[in-house]
Amino acid sequence: MRIIDVHTHPVLDHKGGTPAEVKKLIAHGRRHGIVHMVALGDVLVYGATPNAAQLRAINDENAMVARLHPDYFTAFVYLNPRLGERATMAEAERCAALPGFRGIKLEIANNASHSCMRHAAKAARTFNFTILQHSWSTTNIKDRIHQSDPVDTALFARRNPDVKVIMAHLTGIGFRGVLEAKPLPNLYVDTSGGWPEEGLVEYAVEHLGPDRLLYGSDLPVRENAITIGRILGAQLSAVERQKILFGNTARLLNLKLN
Amino acid sequence: MLIDTNVNLGPWPFSPLPDHTGPALAAHLAASGIRRAFVSHLGGVLLPDPMPANAKLFAQTRRTPALLPVPVLNPALATWREQLDICRAAAPIRAVKIFPNFHNYRLSSRRLDDFMAALAAAKLKLLLNVRLEDERHKYFALRIKGVPVADLAAFLQRFPSHHVLLTGAYKPEVEKLAAVHRNFSADIAFCETFKTLEFMLPKVPARQLMLGTCTPLLSTRGEVGKLTFAQIPARARTLIGSENARRFFDL
Repeated sequence: MRIIDVHTHPVLDHKGGTPAEVKKLIAHGRRHGIVHMVALGDVLVYGATPNAAQLRAINDENAMVARLHPDYFTAFVYLNPRLGERATMAEAERCAALPGFRGIKLEIANNASHSCMRHAAKAARTFNFTILQHSWSTTNIKDRIHQSDPVDTALFARRNPDVKVIMAHLTGIGFRGVLEAKPLPNLYVDTSGGWPEEGLVEYAVEHLGPDRLLYGSDLPVRENAITIGRILGAQLSAVERQKILFGNTARLLNLKLN
Repeated sequence: MLIDTNVNLGPWPFSPLPDHTGPALAAHLAASGIRRAFVSHLGGVLLPDPMPANAKLFAQTRRTPALLPVPVLNPALATWREQLDICRAAAPIRAVKIFPNFHNYRLSSRRLDDFMAALAAAKLKLLLNVRLEDERHKYFALRIKGVPVADLAAFLQRFPSHHVLLTGAYKPEVEKLAAVHRNFSADIAFCETFKTLEFMLPKVPARQLMLGTCTPLLSTRGEVGKLTFAQIPARARTLIGSENARRFFDL
């Protein structure tokens, strides 16, 4: 079975960025059937709100990963919309000119309902990028300034129906998050985040349909054997599994994989 | 053949989990290569008296040899000794399980002196549950945290002649305890990072780890994959997958 992992951090906390380490990561992925990864960058290495220079450093490192193995990695440009329209567009434009970039990664610089998100939406429209927004239920973690509750990510998707948005972390958004995403056809959910809580994958397919759920691991925070096993063990048809593990991300990002 | 040390029957009110019958649970586990499992009933976690849930556990496992019942006891209840006797009479049990955080007592309670002595006299093992869920995803009104690692350390120090199985501990918690204590084992259900076991074994001896999936709260196949895909010595895989449990429970 061929798998695309839509949520990976090949470099995290300054580790994993040497060519040898990237090769090792590819070998690890192939062992699990992963034929392609979306590299999201070392997003927290400079804290929640990186400045423009720090963003460039993170994105350059991510670009290096994609350049070394263009057949294996697609890159997303990491942005901080709070830096304003000019800085956001400039960094998006810089990375759009580099090979392998197909999306925007947003982490915890701001809540997804913040007005500064219009800059990210503009960048997505301009460069035909998909946005992957870190999302987690704030019911228990209580940091709505930085964290985006599924309500917030859904609001962003609702405000920008022409932008394709991935709400990250199925386990983090939980059952409530699936229902927030349900009416929004431009909003996708990735399966990463947290322990493999039983029943959520089936619930997401029941409510979103099989075409809007994307396999993601959050590697190296999480383990592929677990995150893939969770999909393989779910009560789904073979076609549904294939869509989640491969087809949906290939279609969303227009990946032409051999 | 895998042995799972952390499995549950019964519904969990905060999640739409499958409420397996005993045979259905055994079949579900077998699909992931698990041939024997130590099973408790989730009703014993939340009910004020765990015995009705234990009665269901015994009824549902009686005709399913793959499932070995582990009744839940609450040492804070006045009748725990009588309840232990009832459980021993109901089925050939090898262990009991406690949930200190759900049952509102500390591991430092003096009551546990008598409780541990009674388990030793009955040649029963203790499974001590640290957590059942990621604290970030609990039902909003359920303000229950995992058992503090400092409490676990003090407990292990207080009862050095008992070897306890901790279920539901996080990887850093297991590693911290293993640096000091040898009189415990831990299941791996809530231990996860990139290449979990490859990174854990240098810090925690394989003889102190056992397969646990926390079925049905967590994905059985996902949890088993953590062991089957691990690039670790075959001996370590066997120890974690079955041999440690076989020795601990005297199977």
